[in-house]
Amino acid sequence: MGFLTRKKMMSIMALGAMIGLLLLPIAVSLPALTSGGVAFAEDGKEDGKKDEAKVEKGRDVYYKTEGIVVGAPAPVTTDGPKDYPRYNFESRVLLWFANQQHLYYGSFVLAVPIFCMVVEFMGVVTKDKALAKRYDQLAYDFIKISLTAYSLTAVLGGILIFTFLTLYPAFFGYLSSIFRPVMHIYALMFVAESGTLYIYYYGWDKMKEGFLKWIHLSMSVILNIIGTLLMFLANSWIGFMMSPAGVDEQGRFLGNIWHVLHTALWNPLNLHRILGNMAFGGGVVAAYAAYKFLASKTDEERAHYDWMGYIAMALGVAFLIPLPFAGYWLMREVYAYRQQMGITLMGGLLAWLFIIQATMIGILFLSTNYYLWQAMGRMRGAEKYQRYIKYLVFLLACGYLVFITPHTMVMTPAELKAMGGQQHPVLGNYGVMSAKNGGINVIITTTVLSFVWYMRGNKVSTVSWAKFGNIFMGCFFFFAYINIVGLAIYGYYIPANVRVGLSVPQVATTLSCLFFMFALNSIMMKGAKQTGAIEWGKISARSQYALIMLATAFTWMMGLMGYIRSSVRLFWHVNEIMRDNSPWAYTHTVGFAANMISFNVLFFWISILFVFWLGSLAAKKAPVEAKAAVPGSAPQPAASH
Amino acid sequence: MGQTIFYALVSVVICVAYFLAVDHFLMDAQGLDFWYMFRK
Repeated sequence: MGFLTRKKMMSIMALGAMIGLLLLPIAVSLPALTSGGVAFAEDGKEDGKKDEAKVEKGRDVYYKTEGIVVGAPAPVTTDGPKDYPRYNFESRVLLWFANQQHLYYGSFVLAVPIFCMVVEFMGVVTKDKALAKRYDQLAYDFIKISLTAYSLTAVLGGILIFTFLTLYPAFFGYLSSIFRPVMHIYALMFVAESGTLYIYYYGWDKMKEGFLKWIHLSMSVILNIIGTLLMFLANSWIGFMMSPAGVDEQGRFLGNIWHVLHTALWNPLNLHRILGNMAFGGGVVAAYAAYKFLASKTDEERAHYDWMGYIAMALGVAFLIPLPFAGYWLMREVYAYRQQMGITLMGGLLAWLFIIQATMIGILFLSTNYYLWQAMGRMRGAEKYQRYIKYLVFLLACGYLVFITPHTMVMTPAELKAMGGQQHPVLGNYGVMSAKNGGINVIITTTVLSFVWYMRGNKVSTVSWAKFGNIFMGCFFFFAYINIVGLAIYGYYIPANVRVGLSVPQVATTLSCLFFMFALNSIMMKGAKQTGAIEWGKISARSQYALIMLATAFTWMMGLMGYIRSSVRLFWHVNEIMRDNSPWAYTHTVGFAANMISFNVLFFWISILFVFWLGSLAAKKAPVEAKAAVPGSAPQPAASH
Repeated sequence: MGQTIFYALVSVVICVAYFLAVDHFLMDAQGLDFWYMFRK
């Protein structure tokens, strides 16, 4: 008892010390943050009293507030070895590669601990002891995968910094002069993240029961808070490059670091990235599970990895569903910030990349639906839905085709003449936003419907109002489709300034289906009669390829969207503040960009396979006791979803 | 059969009312008129 108390005390003290260490960098830098660069001003004071007399003021380019100039203007670069030293290769491509790989790994190691936290929490609150153990083992498997990737993320971060320093010294010097206080916080938080992660991982066995388990779980919360803050700080740099604030028109820092961080696009970027990271992380873990499933030799292994793949996919898709809406908000803010920037993205130079993006988004949702339909095969009783799947395929195909239809095509004069204009007389109507909003909302609503069917696949509701519930649910989905398509058609008959608002009720309709129908289904299925158990592991191999497809498509899309977001600055390092005068300040062709993205995707997957292989080496050395915890010869990882 | 029709009717009324309310109020919240075409 005394030992336990001491253990508890030690745990609380360790947690307190960790929180204290976490807050330390913020507390240390608080004076600098609140005074808005007092450090800079004090440096100036040391030069003599005459500097005090020459206090220069500038106007914030975004907030339009006045502030004392405390920074140097953005350097005017020239093409040469001083500002753009280079190898005999395009520097931008090298930076692109380093940046993309760091982002892939960074996203992965930020997302996986969030999954870990969720799954570990599920394990802690689940009353079924065997299931709790399975959840705990799954969370441990997740963190084990991310641990090796974490080291690689740090290495890639180092490579990225060196690439910046050696190939773009003037630009990086300027950026680090603006973000000096937060860059230190970033570095210190990275140390805190590493420390917490290692304690979290290596303390797993020591803190597996009772109160200590809650302490362990709290550590995962702290770990994720640090990770998220790290990402927010990194996002502020790209937000500043796209939509600078806190500086005057010459790029001189005006002393308010919060303005520099809180740019017009910071919050939309934060939301978009956190959702994107989660969906990406889910995809990668699902692909890992799929690979392990396909390579499995025993039924036990197949059951475990089938379950793991399903959980990872479900968590990933839970964040994929709201992702297009977050993207829509980001684009809306881009338009609000600079209309020309929005037009360049979606109606100009980069518009074709958005068609590719639409294609990839469609593939993600098609893969998800296909996996769910295949997954229904492992539960007895779900056969009743099989004959209706063709209707879902029809809805998805219609939504997808509308979603990917371009507004205009590149054509020869003869083709143009044959078609009677730049736009096709029929298909051209689908190339506008009104139709595309309808298309994507139909796709997402259908995915929600597939999930609802999957969740009730092997169950029959026993609540007294089950008949009404089923009819109501059917009606709700039917009228949701009518509303989405109706609003899309209605958009053609009203002016653009009214039409643009229709996207909000369309999104609300889809989200209503997601939240209300999931909730209603859960209530109806409480205490439901099972028509058969879920036979984990008894799923087609095709479904696992769908998971791999999902992850690959997501990786490709992430690379594409990163390229689009970065390219929209055109010939600016920092939009309208610091011009890019290197020989590579032009936009690549779509073909080159696609090849480059594919190369990055290929490199990431080859390297992550190496990481998985390293992880499997550690698994082979795992104690027999851990393996023995798997109950039964043909285990059922979870009785329900 | 009669019960099914009753349930269906109640569901239709609730769903139509709900989605029209969503359309109307969310457009109104943006300062836009959902019934624009019918008023003009």
